[in-house]
Amino acid sequence: MNNISISKKYRRRSQVGEVWHRLKKNKGAMIGLAIVLILISAAICSGFLLDYESQIIKQVTRERLQWPSLKHWMGTDQYGRDIFFRLLYGSRFSLSVGFVAVVVALFVGVPLGAVAGYFGGATEDIIMRMTDIFAAVPNILMGIVLASALGPNTINLMLAVGITSVPQFVRVTRASVLTVRNQEYVEAARAVGISEAKIIFTHILPNCLSPIIVQTTLRIASAIIAASSLSFLGLGVPVPAPEWGAMLSDGRGFIRGYAYMTFFPGLAIMITVLAFNMVGDGLRDALDPKLKK
Amino acid sequence: MADYILEVNGLKKHFKTKNGTLYAVDDVSFSIQRGKTLGIVGESGCGKSTTGRCILRLLEATAGEVLFEGKDVNKLTRREMRQMRRDMQIIFQDPFSSLDPRKTVMQTIAEPILNYKLIHGKAAVEARVLELMETVGLTERLINTYPHELDGGRRQRIGIARALAVEPKFIVCDEPVSALDVSIQAQILNLLKKLQQQMGLTYIFITHDLSVVNHFSDDIAVMYLGKLVEKAPAEELFASPLHPYTKALLSAIPVPDLRYQQNRILLRGEISSPINPPDECRFAKRCYCPSDLCHNNCPVLREVSPNHFVACHCV
Amino acid sequence: MNDKKKAIQEGDELVLDVQNLTVHYELEEETVYAINDISLSLRKGQTIGLVGETGAGKTTTALAILQLVPDPPGVIKQGKITVCGHDMSSMTTKQLETIRGRDVSMIFQDPMTSLNPVFTVGEQIAESVELHEHVTKEEAWQRACEMLELVGIPQERAHDYPHQFSGGMKQRVVIAIALACNPKLLIADEPTTALDVTIQAQVLDLMGRLKKQYETAMIMITHDLGIVAEICDEVAVMYAGKIVERGTLEEVFDHTKHPYTEGLFNSLPNIQNRKAELTPIPGLMPDPSNLPAGCAFAPRCPYATEACEQKPAALQRFSPTHEALCSAYERPGFHIARKEVSADG
Repeated sequence: MNNISISKKYRRRSQVGEVWHRLKKNKGAMIGLAIVLILISAAICSGFLLDYESQIIKQVTRERLQWPSLKHWMGTDQYGRDIFFRLLYGSRFSLSVGFVAVVVALFVGVPLGAVAGYFGGATEDIIMRMTDIFAAVPNILMGIVLASALGPNTINLMLAVGITSVPQFVRVTRASVLTVRNQEYVEAARAVGISEAKIIFTHILPNCLSPIIVQTTLRIASAIIAASSLSFLGLGVPVPAPEWGAMLSDGRGFIRGYAYMTFFPGLAIMITVLAFNMVGDGLRDALDPKLKK
Repeated sequence: MADYILEVNGLKKHFKTKNGTLYAVDDVSFSIQRGKTLGIVGESGCGKSTTGRCILRLLEATAGEVLFEGKDVNKLTRREMRQMRRDMQIIFQDPFSSLDPRKTVMQTIAEPILNYKLIHGKAAVEARVLELMETVGLTERLINTYPHELDGGRRQRIGIARALAVEPKFIVCDEPVSALDVSIQAQILNLLKKLQQQMGLTYIFITHDLSVVNHFSDDIAVMYLGKLVEKAPAEELFASPLHPYTKALLSAIPVPDLRYQQNRILLRGEISSPINPPDECRFAKRCYCPSDLCHNNCPVLREVSPNHFVACHCV
Repeated sequence: MNDKKKAIQEGDELVLDVQNLTVHYELEEETVYAINDISLSLRKGQTIGLVGETGAGKTTTALAILQLVPDPPGVIKQGKITVCGHDMSSMTTKQLETIRGRDVSMIFQDPMTSLNPVFTVGEQIAESVELHEHVTKEEAWQRACEMLELVGIPQERAHDYPHQFSGGMKQRVVIAIALACNPKLLIADEPTTALDVTIQAQVLDLMGRLKKQYETAMIMITHDLGIVAEICDEVAVMYAGKIVERGTLEEVFDHTKHPYTEGLFNSLPNIQNRKAELTPIPGLMPDPSNLPAGCAFAPRCPYATEACEQKPAALQRFSPTHEALCSAYERPGFHIARKEVSADG
């Protein structure tokens, strides 16, 4: 008898499969996910389809301040640049800043939270008090300080936004590690001689993953807002790059006569943030089957 | 000459709390012969589970020695302890929290095997897991299921299979059936008994259910507030209990037999706090026949007849 | 024993009458057949033990009597529930609120969660009195203190909060609240499961005394046959949403008829004979959302025939009070292996 076949014979939907199965039933999450996927493909494609020099930043004075038309779907700005193209291209900045900032926050926040939750005692006190101090400074203020200290460029913007998100991840991770740490299966693993490090990685973190995943999705949304805000203040991606916040800032002076200049970047930011939030909420339900029953 | 697999001498486990020191286990000594079962009974907070965990060094004892086959578990290095864990295992009370919800039956049972590299090769590991599943009465169909899909009895079987995977000599059973329904409880008790006969296992059976411990154990130790108050062979303990607490405990068992007559001893009050207890018999406040001596110092465990130990001034 | 029988025969006031109760939980993907056509009745001062395993429908029965089945997903499909002459299903929410606590009250399993942590225990007992009886605040408080004394807690402790009490004491407080308005029916859902043995003995003793004193009818929901033997007059054994055997304490314990009841007894360790082998019931209780067509116990029953698996079990009557849901008795000369104990035994 071939033994491998037993396990294969009873193979079933994996846990990721289960989550996907539940997520599929959630309309809001699926709409959000569709928007996110469209945005990601837009970000990728715009790099190939649009020429940065000639279509994005080139100033065409004779076409300046045109209302939306068939030629310029979302009109043009005060330098005659096509807003639709700029928005498409701008998704590259917004999304990459959002993603990279959250990855930075994940890499710093999760291990800190895990260490604090698992070891407790003085280690926990030090980490959590630092986090508290950090979190006590308003996010935008912290971003402004960091961005102006590091200097306005895309990488620094990612860092600044990422660092302001760290406390959230520390807290979420610590809280779930605390509950998982005292479960009997962790003790059971210790009883069969599994090492501490292995216990953290194979038993504790996988069971803390759900809230971290949800937090990640929601944090991407707030990172996009934070990045746009900093760019709006001139501390983010330097001009003339078509960052959404910067475009919003550009249109601000023309808001009475040419409202579309602020309307479309604002709409883009709103839809993106909404989409990520819907995905995050859907994931929260899908990852926790107990919540539904 | 009796062959003692485990000897516990003066085991203490104190926890520091905000209100003072909690004497969870306070100077407990006993020994178990190879292949036998020692039942530890007591009410919640008496330190029975803590004792079990200190023996396995899942908790570090405050003082005392735990000699497993002559070696003091508390003095072992990390590496030696790792090897020692192959001989000593534990089965937990709660079949719901003792299994990792993200691991399949296969992954849970295979984990100790892979950890000690007992078997090499994927096919061989799987064959071993299937063998263990059969031993504990789980059908092969369940190999890829997750714990939340199974009922309490089946989950408890997984826990037993995990403990057996390293071929231990000694298992601490921490209330293994208290979360289960009676009909399932009997299934698991019979399974544990069968395994003991087949593999020559030694058990410590921790429980609050006296009828179960009577059925299952050779010797019974009764704990109260961190102290061992009485220890005797099961038959003798049930036939002629000496400690007033043991008597009250035995009389409190509800027996499903209309003809069983018992003189119930109703205890006054509740278990007092194990935090900074005064130097008196821990049971003195609830005892129905205390003497002055009981309030003056804490009685020590002494052998009143062969193998019958009791800690009471009045016996 | 004689007193008990007399009480039954005299046909005292019927406190509870449940006829053909069926409760389903209708979930998105499946329907859970929690209770399937059960009937039971209870007279003043009588105690019935509702025994069964997890998922047998004991708690749902209790909730249905109080009209507290969570809806959705719970639906009372059919059945008539009469408590002290009131038809519960035709009552408005307002009327139900006056009946609950006054005519019928319930003790839940977990004393830790059934008390409100922000009020003192005295306030909580007094609140229940004020709600149901026309008394002043002072009188209600006075009553609360009396109730506390009654359950063995000094009345000075009326000003304490629940967290200042231990588990056993909290359960006493819960009992005090339940009995404060002198209900005619008390439903106790595993009232001692969360307690230690010696504390359990205290609480059972207390409940037994109070029950006698006030002639309260009681439904004792438990999985412990030992507790039933101690405090009940009648027993109803539940399995997969049905009452499979019902009778007086002696009938069910000494003249067991249903194979499941027998299985329960054989699963219990015998305290008088520690060498006795346990004979567990093989297998598991069927999933209540997927019950077999025939007798629900047939797959686990040592006496089952093909007929048992195909058609639902028929009710057999052995005495005016003793009945069992088992078709095997249609076979001439059938009896289960468990020995009957004669009365002089």
